[in-house]
Parts: sequence; structure tokens; C-alpha cells
Amino acid sequence: MTASQILLVVLSLGAFALALRRGLPAGQRALRDTGQSLVRVIPLMLVAIPMATFLSQLIPPAIAAAWLGPDSGAAGILLATAAGGFIPGGPFVSFPLVLTFIKAGAGAPQMVALITAWAILGLHRVLSWELPVLGPRFAVLRLLSGAALPVLAGLLAEALLPLFPHALLRP
Amino acid sequence: MLRRNATFFVLLSIAVAAGAALFLLRGPDAVLTALGTAGGLLLVVLPAMMAGLLLAGSLKQLIPPGALAGWMGSRSGIRGLLVATLAGLLTPGGPMAAFPLVLVLAQAGADRGAIICFIVSWALNGLQRVLVWEVPLLGADFALLRFLCGLPLGLLAGLLARRIPISWTPPDTPPPGHRA
Repeated sequence: MTASQILLVVLSLGAFALALRRGLPAGQRALRDTGQSLVRVIPLMLVAIPMATFLSQLIPPAIAAAWLGPDSGAAGILLATAAGGFIPGGPFVSFPLVLTFIKAGAGAPQMVALITAWAILGLHRVLSWELPVLGPRFAVLRLLSGAALPVLAGLLAEALLPLFPHALLRP
Repeated sequence: MLRRNATFFVLLSIAVAAGAALFLLRGPDAVLTALGTAGGLLLVVLPAMMAGLLLAGSLKQLIPPGALAGWMGSRSGIRGLLVATLAGLLTPGGPMAAFPLVLVLAQAGADRGAIICFIVSWALNGLQRVLVWEVPLLGADFALLRFLCGLPLGLLAGLLARRIPISWTPPDTPPPGHRA
């Protein structure tokens, strides 16, 4: 277990202890909630992770490294922003995919831009949630406010990268 | 329920197609290598994910939803955006939980800058997703770098949204399907 995982376990047990102090029912609700989430997430993990490792074997590293690599700079950040907006689905799709790109040689600032674009501009989320719940005017307003942010995040990551020398290494 | 299963089957079919392509192009050894990598990754990810979900489930019991709406009115200024950023970080769950909450916030008087700040903060930096997915899969260093780069973006989006001349009033009736 890595240090970050141990920290996560300690944090979760601490929060659970606090919930238990609110009374047994709160603790039970927390456990039931956790169980329901696990039942939903584990089948997705079991197919998403092999999907990502299969894809990572298929994508030629040279292509990912050339288009989205650490040396692709601002052009790579722009490309990653455009690509991120079109990645459909929740975190169980996007994060294994990013892992695939990283293993194939993509750069950290480019991947920061990709994740940011997926989260803020993700077309699937706008179409399936924002539009029906809040209306088209709101969706346009929010997309206009957010359009430039993924590029900004990528450039910021490029500037901060020297402080995070291990950002692309698996623990 | 249908959405969930649809996601599962889409992922499954992509996985099967990619596995078949790999088998045809690179042979059975490449498939076995990929499966071995996947198995190792699952062993790393699953314990962290269980801990992350327990953390999220417990926090949900500790923080009352909607308690922050009063802090995010149209005259709330930068402070309202900071509160919205914090609320976004702490809001667990997917879009089926967050967007109905946004509607509640809007009807309770939160202004559009704060609402957009909240959505961006939740979508980008929701702690539950960072802890459950990003840290286990991509590593703590990358997750922290990404998180830090995303932290100011909600505030920026909120400030921009207050200046864009598009008028918007929240829909009055809850949308169908918000119970999901």
C-alpha cells in the first residue's frame, strides 16, 4: 500500500467514526450508501480497466507521444481540450482512458487539459443533464464561461510541473 | 437502472472489441500481458476505491445538503463564489444528484455566477471523484497537480458568468426524472 492509500483509509475510517457518533442509524446509512455505490461501481471497474489496458496495447506509443506528449506544448494542450470535450461517460470511462494515454507517452499538462475539458465541457453531460434540467440559455451561458478554462489549466500545469516530478509515474 | 446497465454493456463491448483486435493484430501473448496488467491495476485500485466510497458515504451523513444556499445570493460577491467552490468540492455523487441540487440552489436565491462556479467546482474537483477515481488510477502526484490547476477555475467561470449578458431565470417546476 502506498502512503496516499493509507491516508485515504485513515480518512475514511475517521469520517465513518464521526458518522457513528451521530448515532447508529447514521452509521448504518453511511454503510448502506457505501454498499450501494460499490455494487454500482465494481462491475464498471471490472470491464473498464481491461478495456483501458487492451486499448493501451493497441495505441502506438509514438502517436500519443507525438500529438499529446510532454513536448507537444500549447498545440497539444489545445488538441487535448478538444478531445476531452467529446469523451463520453463518467469517471469510469475517462480516467482509465487517461491512464492509457499516459502509459502511451502523453504529457502531464496535456492530460490536465484533457480531464478539465472532459469535466467542464463534456458534451454528453450538457446534453443529458444540463439542457433538460436547467434549460438551453443556461447551458450556453455556462459553456461560454468555461470554454477557455481547460487551456488555462493546461498552461498552469505546464508552469507547475517542475514542482511535481513524479506526476506521471505509477505508484 | 437502465442507464447504468447501458454503460456497463457499452464498456463491455468496447473491451471485447479491443481484446479481439489485440488478439488478431498482436497475438494471444499481448492479450495475456494486457490482462495481467489489468489484474494488477484492479488489486491496487479496489482497496482505495472502497475506502473512497466509505469516506463519501460517511460525509453525506455529516453535511446537510442545501445548507449553503443562503450564502450564494447575487450580492454575495467573491465570498459567494468561494462558498460555491467549497460546496462543489464537497458535493458527492454524479450528475443525477448534482443538477437537481443546482436547481434547488437557484430557486433558493443563488445567483448565476455562484451556480456556475458550483457546477464547475463539482464537475472538476468533486473530492469524491478525485479520491475514488483519480488518486487510485493516476497516482497522488498527478491528481494533486490536476486538482491545484483546477481549483481557481470555478471562481473564474463564476466571475465571467456574471458579466456575460444572457438573462436566465431558473425553471419553476422540477424536471421529470429528477428523482433518479
